[in-house]
Amino acid sequence: MTLDMLKKGQRCEIKKMHVKGKLMHKLLDMGFVNGSVIEVVREAPLYDPMELRIQRYLISLRKSEAKTLEVAIL
Amino acid sequence: MIKVALAGQPNCGKSTIFNMVSGINQHIANYPGVTVDKKVGRFEYEKQTIEMVDLPGTYSFSSFSLEERVAKDFIVDEKPDVIVNIVDASNIKRNLYLTFQLLEIGVPVVVVLNMMDVAQRRGVEIDIQKISQMLGCKVVSASGAKGVGGKEIVEAIISTSKNKDDYKKFKINYEELEPCIKIIEDIISASDISLNHRWLAIKVLEGDSSIIEKLDKDSNNIKEKAKIQENIFHDTYDKDICAFLATLRYDCADVIYHKTINETKLGKSTVTDIVDKFILNRWFAMPFLFLVMFLIYQLAIVYGYELTKYTWPLLAGIKNFAIDVLPVTNFIDIPMITGFVIWMINSANALLNYIPIFFILFALIAILEDVGYMPRMAFILDRIFRKFGLHGQSTLPLVLGGAMVGGCAVPGVMATKGIADERARMATILTVPYMNCLAKVPFYTLLLGAFFKESMALMMFFISTSTIFIALIMAKLLTSTVLKNRETAPFVMELPPYHLPTFKGVIIRAFQRVWTYIYKVMTIVLAVAIILFAMLQFPGISDESQIKYEVQLEKSLKVFEKKVKKSKYYIEVNTKEKVSALLNYYDGYRAKRMTTSSREGAKSIDEKYKQKNQNYFKFIKPKKDKDARIVNKVLRKLSKTRKRILRNIKNEKVENSLLGMSGRAIEPLTKYAGFDWKINVAFLSSFAARESAVATLGTLYENNKADSLRAEEAMAQNSGYTSLHAVAIIIFMLLTPPCIATMIVVKMQTNSYKWMMFAIFFPVFLGVFISSFVFTFGNIYHLNGLEAMKYYYISIVSAALLLGLFPQKLMNWKGGFLKKP
Ligand SMILES: Nc1nc2c(ncn2[C@@H]2O[C@H](COP(=O)(O)OP(=O)(O)OP(=O)(O)O)[C@@H](O)[C@H]2O)c(=O)[nH]1
Ligand SMILES: [Mg+2]
Repeated sequence: MTLDMLKKGQRCEIKKMHVKGKLMHKLLDMGFVNGSVIEVVREAPLYDPMELRIQRYLISLRKSEAKTLEVAIL
Repeated sequence: MIKVALAGQPNCGKSTIFNMVSGINQHIANYPGVTVDKKVGRFEYEKQTIEMVDLPGTYSFSSFSLEERVAKDFIVDEKPDVIVNIVDASNIKRNLYLTFQLLEIGVPVVVVLNMMDVAQRRGVEIDIQKISQMLGCKVVSASGAKGVGGKEIVEAIISTSKNKDDYKKFKINYEELEPCIKIIEDIISASDISLNHRWLAIKVLEGDSSIIEKLDKDSNNIKEKAKIQENIFHDTYDKDICAFLATLRYDCADVIYHKTINETKLGKSTVTDIVDKFILNRWFAMPFLFLVMFLIYQLAIVYGYELTKYTWPLLAGIKNFAIDVLPVTNFIDIPMITGFVIWMINSANALLNYIPIFFILFALIAILEDVGYMPRMAFILDRIFRKFGLHGQSTLPLVLGGAMVGGCAVPGVMATKGIADERARMATILTVPYMNCLAKVPFYTLLLGAFFKESMALMMFFISTSTIFIALIMAKLLTSTVLKNRETAPFVMELPPYHLPTFKGVIIRAFQRVWTYIYKVMTIVLAVAIILFAMLQFPGISDESQIKYEVQLEKSLKVFEKKVKKSKYYIEVNTKEKVSALLNYYDGYRAKRMTTSSREGAKSIDEKYKQKNQNYFKFIKPKKDKDARIVNKVLRKLSKTRKRILRNIKNEKVENSLLGMSGRAIEPLTKYAGFDWKINVAFLSSFAARESAVATLGTLYENNKADSLRAEEAMAQNSGYTSLHAVAIIIFMLLTPPCIATMIVVKMQTNSYKWMMFAIFFPVFLGVFISSFVFTFGNIYHLNGLEAMKYYYISIVSAALLLGLFPQKLMNWKGGFLKKP
């Protein structure tokens, strides 16, 4: 399953990243590496983007980008 | 001299540390990516000169964003002696990711654990000794906002630079990748480049374009050779080099984190978590955001405007003082120098009058920035912005540009540097100038004060909220036409923890920004005022007119003489010189009297004038003295006549002047929008600096040099406009191009004159077109100003909403994401 499908409060682990180029570099730099644990904190009031907790800090990610991350629910 | 580079992730407190250590105040804000350009500060410590450079915050040290490129180019080109790596102690793990990359460069590093107070509050216990041991560099703890740790940082810098020859190069073992690194390193070693070869090799393998470019000059084909290694690595281990490096660095950070840090409050919610539950709550977020904006209106515009009622007399006082010391007017003959100085003071006063509004506004924005609300605004609004081809990160430039009430397009356009999405960045650069420039606010306030006294708040609401819809419409149009094929980028934005702003920080920043504003007024506007003065003086009125006015004056003087003969005081006013002096005395008194409304103020002015001339004072306040009353009556009449003549002279002068001619020349075009030549003149003068529009209008409608009428009152009385005229003018002003300064930054940011020209001329045509349409439409349907404004507002809001429904072309950043298997 992909990250955008997760509900508020769910936690998951990154399994595979289907990204390339700019987005990949950005995600890597922000701590999205295979095996890192992500918690979905909430969705924005307009349902998109979503707020995540990763490496103990908060980050927001659009669903279109979250779709590229294959995860497993913990 | 020790050259120090301050590096660190966004929002970790670099600028705060920089200010604390170097004593220079620069912009500090709780918004990832506020410092985009590097700032330099130089200071002495124990006879050592230290030059410190505040680099923009970067999460990583490659060159995938502009900030990273700026930071890395500095390290590569300027070769600092020491890198000070500021680390957010409350978020060590992610910060260490950058630390490793800095350590690898080979320049000695001092690690500063900043925000120790926050770490403590969150129950993060750090074994500093151990971190220092594991990283092989000095580690200092600090709390920048509390002023703790400055001395230790400087001492660590000095001792590190002293021992820099003993510095052991830091090395991460990249395991499987090591053979590849070795091969590239050997190729680089063949050239005589002075930087750390291993680091360069790693950068080359990461595909760092600017390093590859640099190396390609010496060792040919490094790019291809790196590509070969990359393919070998990929084929052998089925791993991408970048992902591999990032994973390894995060693993290393994890090791250090686990060995040196003990979190006692793990799992407990932080203050930020709790506050966000409300601020980002699905139902509460939007109302709260609008409440914040509304509060800013209310506090800055409404109360700020109240304050100007107290500051205006001060400014009028300056002018009256100047009148007192300058050569006096001889009836209708105003000495050139007097006219010039008064013109300059009027120009400055019209703007300085709004300082209270600016101060409150800047303080409020500073608070929002410090608290950390800005990125949350981006988070809440991104979905809307995205629909128009913008980016959540466009929020900051738009706010600085004046999305709320007023701002300045110059910092707004400059802040677009941080937007990773190229298309959204271009669109933001081109739309920020549509925002409410602060210098336009006085202009609106002038017109509203003159024509919309009752519905001022509502009009102000229309004005300031309409700009954002215009910006959205423009952004949508631009991104789906001329900018259609520009590169776009992902939205991956940190939401930093909330910080309490410090009172001192907010006040300092508000003062700094107000000072920048004043500074701009004093330079650009006064320079323009001088040119305008010349353009208004030349060629002056014709000889016939001069004679005509002199005859008019003679006539009224004769009447004065005849009447005044009946008084026993005739002897005091029996020559022209005496009458002229008395007339100036009278006008001077009236002007001063109008700047005060209090009884004590009036009394003190009375005293002053009694002292100045006891004899004349009885003509001003004759009381029961019958003969003095006669003089008083005719004097008042004479004063009025003189004012009228002076006004006519002035109008004629302006009409004949160079500027007046230009304004008149375009009148056939602008008359459809209801602009007469005076407004054209004001707009022409506003091209140099927006502030000039108010100054020019203020001086054009101000009817006599010693008159203390506020500009808006003068305009309402003397212009002959209806509120519909005012609305057409306002709409044009909402759309017209920004000042020269903004155009220069647009050129800098887009790196193209073509776009600068576009940014100048497109809005002018748009403005003329739309305001002509509104004015003509309003005339046909006999709308008043407020109604016309309502229709305009409704139309653009619906246009924006309609456009938002059209789908935006799909994201197309390089690489894109793969189709799901
Ligand atoms: N509580 C606390 N807050 C701090 C400390 N140092 C900085 N801050 C706050 O953190 C926020 C960000 O500080 P900046 O100095 O602008 O951060 P920066 O690293 O320069 O940020 P960029 O230039 O955007 O990369 C501000 O609101 C500061 O007041 C600290 O030691 N303790
Ligand atoms: Mg900074």
